[in-house]
Amino acid sequence: MLQKNRLRKEAITAGFFLAPYLILMVIFTVFVFGMGAIKSLTDAARLNPGEFIGFDNYIQVLSDDKFWRAVATTFMYMFGAMLVQIPVAFLLANILNTINKRFRGIFRAAFFIPVLVNSIVLAFLFRQLFATDFGMINWFFGVLGMPNNTDWLRSPSLAVPLLVIVSSWQWMGFHAIYFLANLQSIDVTLYEAAKIDGASPVRVLMQITFPMMKSALTFVMVTSAIGCLQLFDLVYMLFPDNGYVGGTARTIVAYIYDESFSQASRYGYASAAGWVAFFIILAISLLQLRFLGLGQSKEQ
Amino acid sequence: MGMQPKTIFQQIFKISGIVLFCTVTLLFLYPLLWLADSSFRPWTEVASTVPFFVEKNPIEAISSYNLKAMTEALIGGEGLTKWNVGLAFINSVWVTIAAILLTIVVCSFAAYAFAYLNFPFKKPVFVIVIATMMLPMTTMVVPYYLLLNTLGLIDNPLGLIIPYAASAFSIFLLRQYFVKVPFSYIESARMEGSSEFRILFSIIMPLARPAIAAMAIIQFRLVWNDFLYPMLILKTQEFFTLPIIIKFMDSKNIDKPYDVIVATGFIAVSVPLIFFLIFQRQFIEGLTGGLKQ
Repeated sequence: MLQKNRLRKEAITAGFFLAPYLILMVIFTVFVFGMGAIKSLTDAARLNPGEFIGFDNYIQVLSDDKFWRAVATTFMYMFGAMLVQIPVAFLLANILNTINKRFRGIFRAAFFIPVLVNSIVLAFLFRQLFATDFGMINWFFGVLGMPNNTDWLRSPSLAVPLLVIVSSWQWMGFHAIYFLANLQSIDVTLYEAAKIDGASPVRVLMQITFPMMKSALTFVMVTSAIGCLQLFDLVYMLFPDNGYVGGTARTIVAYIYDESFSQASRYGYASAAGWVAFFIILAISLLQLRFLGLGQSKEQ
Repeated sequence: MGMQPKTIFQQIFKISGIVLFCTVTLLFLYPLLWLADSSFRPWTEVASTVPFFVEKNPIEAISSYNLKAMTEALIGGEGLTKWNVGLAFINSVWVTIAAILLTIVVCSFAAYAFAYLNFPFKKPVFVIVIATMMLPMTTMVVPYYLLLNTLGLIDNPLGLIIPYAASAFSIFLLRQYFVKVPFSYIESARMEGSSEFRILFSIIMPLARPAIAAMAIIQFRLVWNDFLYPMLILKTQEFFTLPIIIKFMDSKNIDKPYDVIVATGFIAVSVPLIFFLIFQRQFIEGLTGGLKQ
């Protein structure tokens, strides 16, 4: 009886301790997604609560070329960013690992700082660096005797590469430091044993470093993909005239944002687009987790 | 003799590695050096055709440094537009502090319950909380906006602060650390009749300071730099935070105040950098401990 009383008291205390968080969670996640689901089935807009129209919005989203262009842009950006950032970060981490401890701290700080820089300021900075007439990039090309009048910020074909460059500046160093922390946790005796056995560097990389880094690589790949798929701040600020370079740089979130808060303010439609985007991101994450087997490495 | 080619190869590899490395490091730092330089010079000089580090006379360049843009940003002045960046700075500061404190309180309570208290459906509730970490909130801009509107939190700084406390990752991080505290500490405190509330505040939280610091740093970076939701929520200029006022100034097509934008950007970037330089180890450990983009 005493035991039962004690358990009940504990459960009540737990209820009090959890209540603030659970209330916030229900409001700011469950309600938000629920409201999105309800609104997506209506033709709601600004000053119009909306009437039920079934799955019309979803059909419209799925048949809108602009939406699929945004998906294509986002995917290209994601693949580009990951293909540049992860291998280079991995290489930088391996070099960083061999560097004298005294200097390592300085490099580590320099690599880490970009991740603290505000994306809006960053986009403004890169807009100046890539400016056609006074940008440092065109100046540099001029010094090298190469064409120095490239209009970086207004060329549709350069829009996604530019986004990849800017986001690589922001995240590559951080990934490198993350990899470094994991490299340093690999048991040194493994490398010593490999050395005694006369294993080639390539073999050491394939048979020791990669397997030991698997969960770190998986983690960076999954979180990068989720982050890349939600890109907004950079595209919104980087290009002049708010036009996403004639629409070529419009990402999924930018598309949703435009539909929501442009003149038309199609809240119902934008909610449906949000849910479609949600399923796309979920599908990519689940595919990655299955393919890379994070679930397994977590259980170990 | 057989070792010779390998050593040369290694030397070349090492030297090219160092060169590559220093180049990359410089590339990482260059935009920030540009920002620092430009914040203290008239824009007409900044927007010249040569980068600042190759100017013909560096002494002359440095001697043209002044605080005009900074002053205009922070105070305004005669014949200058009042941009109220100073107010935006204060808003950023107090919103960030309030959000961090609220997260610490709300998430410590929840993490304590998950770590030490028994209650029905504990496991499924924890799984649900952790699962919310994976939700891409940016796709739900519209319902989020509509919900805050219903709650009267649009154009209200509270609408900016409160949602940050719903941070599943903070709970995860704190719980990880809390469970490392030996259970005997808690048992003996309970024997002595301490309430759970007291155990949390006088035993667990002091011991979990590193985890709380890591959590605070993650929240600091997030809140200080956040853009999309503040842009939706804040309508009146007096509530603007730094990123929002930068975008606001940048959206002027006529007479865009480049000087002031650069100076504001410098202020916005300096704050996390100063903290980073002081608490370098905590920043790197806290953020690499698991930061989602």
